Amino acid sequence: MRLYITVILRTLLYISLAIMVYDFVRIEQQFELLGRGYIDSFSVNVGNQVGQVFIVITIILVIMNVFQLFVMKRNKRAKVEDYILPEYDASDERSVEITGKAVRFAFVFILLYSFLILGSYMFVPNYFLDFVWYPMFTTASIPIIGLIVYLISFKIIYSR
Amino acid sequence: MLVNRVKELRAKYNLTQGELAKKIGVTRQTIVSLEKGSYTPSLLLAMNIAEVFNEPIEKIFIKREEEE
Repeated sequence: MRLYITVILRTLLYISLAIMVYDFVRIEQQFELLGRGYIDSFSVNVGNQVGQVFIVITIILVIMNVFQLFVMKRNKRAKVEDYILPEYDASDERSVEITGKAVRFAFVFILLYSFLILGSYMFVPNYFLDFVWYPMFTTASIPIIGLIVYLISFKIIYSR
Repeated sequence: MLVNRVKELRAKYNLTQGELAKKIGVTRQTIVSLEKGSYTPSLLLAMNIAEVFNEPIEKIFIKREEEE
């Protein structure tokens, strides 16, 4: 359950960061276009809800991480690298082994997916004009895909 | 492959999977996969199990040749 929660929170963290960056870049770009004389005026709506979501999730994740570090510190057998992230399960030696396997699967997937994402820019050469969101959301999707693959691999191997 | 007598010994000592897991400091799921034979324990875990059942390791964990 804890793994599901941390993966969902981490995914939301990346999505909220991508939205925040997108909002910032979108507005900055309008100012840039205005400054260069491409447009005469523009209007924007600026909301702070996404920023609040980002801050709340960051705080929850930091608390979870500190709690995990505190709890695991009592377990003399566990090594720090085994529980450095709340996603890492170090409850016993089998969990540590499974975490290692799941991380290996996720790493392979991230390498392949990044390759595809980088290549996809060839199909959207006008992304900086028409699809300003594209780089932010595709970049955010890389760790999200990695987390999802990690979660699925962990759960499958753990249930064996 | 490594086969083990954990299930048999656990029944002999009238222990539940949860109780054995607690005694040797692992999760119940680890005992489940150990009994199914899908998990090969570390030497330390095997020694802890042997200690609980008061038997030598080689009497609990037996190496078998993989069948073709």
